[in-house]
Amino acid sequence: MKNPIYLDYAAATPMDNNVLSAMMPFFSANFYNPSANYDPAIDVKNKLNDSRGKISFWLGAKPTEIIFTAGGTEANNLAISGVMQANPDKNLIVSAIEHDSVLLPAKQYLHKIAPVDSRGMINLPSLLKLIDKDTVLISVMHANNEVGTIQPIKEIAQKIKAIRSQRLLANNHTPLYLHTDASQSVNYLDIHHSQLGVDLISLNGGKIYGPKQTGILFVSSRVKLSPLMLGGGQENNLRSGTENVAGFIGLACALDKTQLIRKEETDRLSKLQSHFFKNIAAKLPDVIINGSLNKRLPNNIHLSFPGVDNEMLIALLNNALIYVAAGSACSASNNMPSHVLKAMGITDDQARSSLRISMGRETTLEDIDQTISIIVDLVKEQMNNA
Amino acid sequence: MPKKIYVGMSGGVDSSVSAALLLKQGFDVTGVYMKNWSKNLPGHYCSWEEDYMDAKKVAAQLGIKFKLYDFEKEYRSQVVDYMVSEYQAGRTPNPDIMCNQEIKFKLFLNTALSDGAELIATGHYARINDGQLLTGLDSNKDQSYFLYRVEESALEKSLMPVGELEKPEVRKIAEKLGLSTANKKDSQGICFVGQVGIKEFLESELGISKPGRIINQTGEDIGEHEGALYYTIGQRHGLNVGGGLPYYVTGKNITRNQVFVTTDITDISLWKSSLKLSNIHWINKPPSKDSKYKIRTRYRADLINITNINHQGDVYTIDLEDEVRAVTPGQSAVIYEKDRVVGGGIVI
Repeated sequence: MKNPIYLDYAAATPMDNNVLSAMMPFFSANFYNPSANYDPAIDVKNKLNDSRGKISFWLGAKPTEIIFTAGGTEANNLAISGVMQANPDKNLIVSAIEHDSVLLPAKQYLHKIAPVDSRGMINLPSLLKLIDKDTVLISVMHANNEVGTIQPIKEIAQKIKAIRSQRLLANNHTPLYLHTDASQSVNYLDIHHSQLGVDLISLNGGKIYGPKQTGILFVSSRVKLSPLMLGGGQENNLRSGTENVAGFIGLACALDKTQLIRKEETDRLSKLQSHFFKNIAAKLPDVIINGSLNKRLPNNIHLSFPGVDNEMLIALLNNALIYVAAGSACSASNNMPSHVLKAMGITDDQARSSLRISMGRETTLEDIDQTISIIVDLVKEQMNNA
Repeated sequence: MPKKIYVGMSGGVDSSVSAALLLKQGFDVTGVYMKNWSKNLPGHYCSWEEDYMDAKKVAAQLGIKFKLYDFEKEYRSQVVDYMVSEYQAGRTPNPDIMCNQEIKFKLFLNTALSDGAELIATGHYARINDGQLLTGLDSNKDQSYFLYRVEESALEKSLMPVGELEKPEVRKIAEKLGLSTANKKDSQGICFVGQVGIKEFLESELGISKPGRIINQTGEDIGEHEGALYYTIGQRHGLNVGGGLPYYVTGKNITRNQVFVTTDITDISLWKSSLKLSNIHWINKPPSKDSKYKIRTRYRADLINITNINHQGDVYTIDLEDEVRAVTPGQSAVIYEKDRVVGGGIVI
């Protein structure tokens, strides 16, 4: 039997072996509660803080600016609701292509939604126009999880800096923070907060070959944040609950590796990506590449096959042991194509014929060639049936 | 040209195998998932998306075309609303029977025909022969009871391939073909009910019902019930009347929100030797005087010999050889001649 080909790394990544072995002692031998005051517990706390230190290094942050959370969704919720609850009556702006874990919390507050263009790139002038004197938070993801478009975070940050100065001159003391969800980008891009110019960054262990349900919110020390989880006051009072020590040790270890191999992975996957695009377009002239060609994560491939039903294609690929995601979930359910593709102005039909193929560390050129040839056959067959 | 057939595929093993068998027989097969219900109810997760994808996966495995028919609106108005209003009137309806009559063998059939199908098929355990409806060969699984209201003209355009098989054979075929649904658990009802308690369902539709009084066989008020709608004649449980002998529901008064109970299992209101049926539906022709018939008053109940069938206008009186317990207004009684479904009606 042939080996399965997994191409859904944007949904989940297999845990790295070193990550797993780093975590193991903290389930049993080093099980102590890091808040306790005897030596073995203090040792656990020190190990936890070592991890915090490692993580802060990659973000160019102070260790105290790293808040451990249970996953990326929680980090995003804490960023949005934490800022908005600390600044009642203010408003926030989010991009139209944010993950639901940003979009849905944002909709609980006074909010505006910044549009994107047809490649899924934020429209900077439109975003700036939405900012008013009461805007306290802007959230734009570093790179989109569906179409992989990389957003101009630095440019947005520069504009925000200018607005902050204007506010001071106008005696307006409303802060203006920039949050970015870097869950998808961290495998390939620099996430130093000062490089990006952001005040809050969300990361997700489950997307970086670390444990699921572990996450980080970087919160710059100048951001005022309200906690969502109340209790024992852990994580600088911002996230109560006994720390998931094993998880955070694993997360730190996973982040270390992604950052060390980030550049070579980017080079390797970029080549596979352009190989994929070139070959599929040569064999299937009707194929549409969604998203941007140059401002794109190197592991993301997002295609539409006009006239082909993506759910059927996924089921057929599944039978061929190739695992990919629908470019837009729920094609039949509720007739709701993805809000990301919708925001890009992609028609429902095009959305319902789209696949997201996301590559990762174990993806090889052979995998890609096999996948291309099987997709080409299946798409042709589906077109003939139609 | 092979005949075009549309198979209703629920994502279960029976309809998966039905599609596979028809394909093997040389039909031009299209699988159709009917989306009838998608709402989660308290304590019940509606798995329609998983079921839909399961059906689609099988279609992909078989290499057949696949469609989704969204019948939620029609299912709501013709099955759910009917069911709720029947309960409100104090009766106990059978939504699966209504679903077959109105949705599967009317709406699905007509939609499929207008989309180019010549025939339809379903995964029911029943057989169709020459416009006649027969019981499924697997007497454990026979679903002919649910199908007695299907029109003869619809039966003529329908196939039920697994009706000729026993359930274990069906699973074996699915395993042999490697169908992804081979080991999927059977769903309880054909439609959504059966998975969720009727009380929870009615509460989600009508809001919490008002409690009322429970009256025993001597006319005594013996306690409080949760709402007369939720109780069915013959029912033994859920009365919250503590101690002593078990109570059985013998009747109810919906306007006064009263439930009548007895501790006497021989109480005449629990046993009937004669039934009155309305809304009669005969599949081929009405029963004749010189044939022997049997009747079934609920799914999987024993067949009881009929001694006499009379009618005054649209109301039929069916005399039985044995007494039958807990016959509830609103439920269906189905009449058989050997393994053929003659028709039936609704108990009044």
